[in-house]
Amino acid sequence: MTIDMSQFYQVFFEEAGENLATMEGLLLELDVDAPDLETLNAIFRAAHSMKGGAGTFGFNDMARVTHVLETLLDRLRKQELAPTVEMVDAFLQAGDVLKSQLAAHQEGTEYEAPRVAEVCAHLEVLASLDDTSGEGLASPVRDTGVRESLEGGGWRIEFRPADIGRRDGLELQGLFDALGELGTIEGTVPSDLDGAREMDVCVWRLFGDVGRGAVEEIFAFICEPNQVSLAAIQPDESSLSAEPDESDDDGYGFFMGAPGSEFALDQELDGFGLFGGSPGMDQVVELANQDRLDRDLGYGFFDASPGFPEPNGEARRESPAQTVAAQPKRSVDAGGSRATAAPKRAIAADTSIRVSVEKVDQLINLVGELVITHAMLAESATVLDPALHERIFGGLSNLERNSRDLQQAVMSIRMMPISFVFNRFPRVVRDTAASLGKKVLLRLVGEDTELDKGLIERMADPLNHLVRNSIDHGIEQPEARRAAGKPEQGEITLRASHRGGSVVVEVSDDGAGLNREKLLAKAAKQGIPMPDNPSDKEVWALIFHAGFSTAERVTDISGRGVGMDVVRRNIEDMNGRVEIESSPGRGTHITIRLPLTLAILDGLSVRMGEEIFILPLTVIQESIQPKPEQFKSVVGKGRVALVNGEYLPMVSLRDVFNSGGPETRPEDGILVIVDTNEGRAAVLVDELVAQHQVVIKSLETNYRKVDGVSGATIMGDGRVALILDVDALVRLNRRATRGSVRPIQFSVTGDPNDE
Amino acid sequence: MNDERKDGSAVATDGAREYLTFTLGDEEYGIDILKVQEIRGYDAVTKIANSPAFIKGVINMRGVIVPIIDMRLKFNLGQVEYNEFTVVIILNIDSRIVGLVVDGVSDVIALAGDRIRPAPEFGALLDTAYIDGLATLDDRMIIMVDIARLMTSQEMGLVEQVHEAVA
Repeated sequence: MTIDMSQFYQVFFEEAGENLATMEGLLLELDVDAPDLETLNAIFRAAHSMKGGAGTFGFNDMARVTHVLETLLDRLRKQELAPTVEMVDAFLQAGDVLKSQLAAHQEGTEYEAPRVAEVCAHLEVLASLDDTSGEGLASPVRDTGVRESLEGGGWRIEFRPADIGRRDGLELQGLFDALGELGTIEGTVPSDLDGAREMDVCVWRLFGDVGRGAVEEIFAFICEPNQVSLAAIQPDESSLSAEPDESDDDGYGFFMGAPGSEFALDQELDGFGLFGGSPGMDQVVELANQDRLDRDLGYGFFDASPGFPEPNGEARRESPAQTVAAQPKRSVDAGGSRATAAPKRAIAADTSIRVSVEKVDQLINLVGELVITHAMLAESATVLDPALHERIFGGLSNLERNSRDLQQAVMSIRMMPISFVFNRFPRVVRDTAASLGKKVLLRLVGEDTELDKGLIERMADPLNHLVRNSIDHGIEQPEARRAAGKPEQGEITLRASHRGGSVVVEVSDDGAGLNREKLLAKAAKQGIPMPDNPSDKEVWALIFHAGFSTAERVTDISGRGVGMDVVRRNIEDMNGRVEIESSPGRGTHITIRLPLTLAILDGLSVRMGEEIFILPLTVIQESIQPKPEQFKSVVGKGRVALVNGEYLPMVSLRDVFNSGGPETRPEDGILVIVDTNEGRAAVLVDELVAQHQVVIKSLETNYRKVDGVSGATIMGDGRVALILDVDALVRLNRRATRGSVRPIQFSVTGDPNDE
Repeated sequence: MNDERKDGSAVATDGAREYLTFTLGDEEYGIDILKVQEIRGYDAVTKIANSPAFIKGVINMRGVIVPIIDMRLKFNLGQVEYNEFTVVIILNIDSRIVGLVVDGVSDVIALAGDRIRPAPEFGALLDTAYIDGLATLDDRMIIMVDIARLMTSQEMGLVEQVHEAVA
């Protein structure tokens, strides 16, 4: 009898993904010389949860790898082995294998590579190394498959075969097997009918991490719930029949006897912060809490009173030795496989729900509509006399406040701390630095900075590029650094912060910095036009040119010259900006400025003729009221504006968009100076209207991409306004002045909107 | 909806299908009513830069940005006049929403498949690929348009075409 598990696959994939990330993060945190027991425990729990999940869902390849992983981890956390760098590497590799396996399962295939076997073999070798305790517990991996689920208790199942009409030995065998799929089952199946009748009560013991529901579900198919008695077997009871466990004492008995442990158990789970100061204390408390939490989560019926573990301890001591008990025991954690990696996390998981992004987006859309509707109402109300219609105005202002609050609250659902991206970098830095023979320290600052989930996902690639570039090109080899009077270990800082309405992510290194001469020489070689006396900024911007790389040789890390231009494009796609500062010998500092969210944009509405356009605030540097003498033309066509001693290309929306209408004198309009990826430009508009927060709508949903426009929004009066893409505008403008743009295609006949 | 289109002939011979008819100048057209989402008046549009003349622009329809196409301009028919009788048919084709400006909506008719005759070839004058056929109703000729095919055609430029994406 199998239950269709596929519906739960997604949950498993997500959980396993999280567990893998947790594990990797913790592994990188792990200080090999002074391993923190709690970290080891957390890593172990992550692996264990994954194994449980993989086993339950029948992903046996993953279960196998996690199992080997777990074996070694278990020895580590019991301090039978001391962690080594080699082990950490092996763990990371195993993590990679698991990731590939997970990805394969998500696509419904199976990951097969010789690497899997290699990694497993390596782990096994490491696990079977001599242990420090010399108890000869070195675990033969093959045995553990059977025994693994024995720890941690289970269920005593009592029923009368006669009651439930399962008299046939074969049928009982089927039931027995079904239960066996959940965990390890012990007991006898009456082989023949007569035997079954005689044997009034059938008693089976089911061991493993099995929920009451799962057992009941199986029985639900064949009988009434009250015909089966289910009793929990406590972890130690299981060992009565199962395994001896001396080794357990170092984990279990150890902290029960420790001073203050009772106090610890009385604490609320978040209470252990209090113990930060006392040496060794937090470990004890942590373990105690964890134990308690694990049991609570795993079974929910355990008595968590402080006195409880003691009888267990006795029971364990009495328990007879068992030859199968090759696998070191993990009674503390057995129940925890349902819990997420760390105790603190588990609590968070209880109070959060998984919601599909679609639903959240729908909510955001609806709230956007609400804001627009409010704006429309407010506009209609302007014709009313405020004194006469006081209540309407009062209601409107309430509505405004509420809908703004609602909008903010809904937007915050999509917000996630940037640590989701940052957390992968310790690994990236470690691997990259190791492969280049460099010493690099990564500092993460402001990991709690929140930004839109969509942005977070899209930040990963560009940041990855930047960090790898910094290690490859920025940080020098240790000898070179010493020669330059710098510490051998280079430093890369990833910093995130909120600044104004945007999020700023900075990647800085203390490496060699960019080489101005080299960049210029390269630019000349590649025929990239540069002004005679380029500013530093212009020179640094060269690295964003496609195909531009100053690396002397191509490594697998960087140097192919694709990358930086992709970084820039990715960031610009998110309405963000990149800036570089660099000083020779001191390092490079790259600043990425992003909007808080993809759904809302801070914009300035500008009027050109009859149409309203939105300019993103992030690109606007200043706006000026021009004087006639500021406008110049080049060969009679290309127009430039002289702003602060600089000639900027002038973009007239009217020309670019062929929007027709009477030509106005440029000096009657306003010049908005914008920052584009080709330098600054001046956009000529008729009027600045107002600053808004606008909800970004895609034109492509029902139409197609329009050049020069990044999206659309709905204004307070219900009309659609287009959001301008200044980079594309400058490009379009260049084409327009070259005269290659298509002729005016707007028909104006009889359209009331043209009048 | 698409599936219906594919085995449309079978359905059409069995029973009558319903069509929405509208006028463009002196001509009467019919489209599959299942593609019609709603009918509304003509509103102010926001123009889209550098788009063909028949694409009037976009409107906000309850928070959805919908492009508006003037079929009279597209088919070079009749006087293009916008007044209170100008009607916009909102179509939902493969979950893309498009508005069509027409002179007026006349009727919903049920037509059996065998009453739709194939349209004669007009040579290069007119691409008949989008015309399902001609039907006669009370001495009026109704041009049956395969609106889904027309709207997703390259000619309309409504949908990003693959070759454009490359270019």
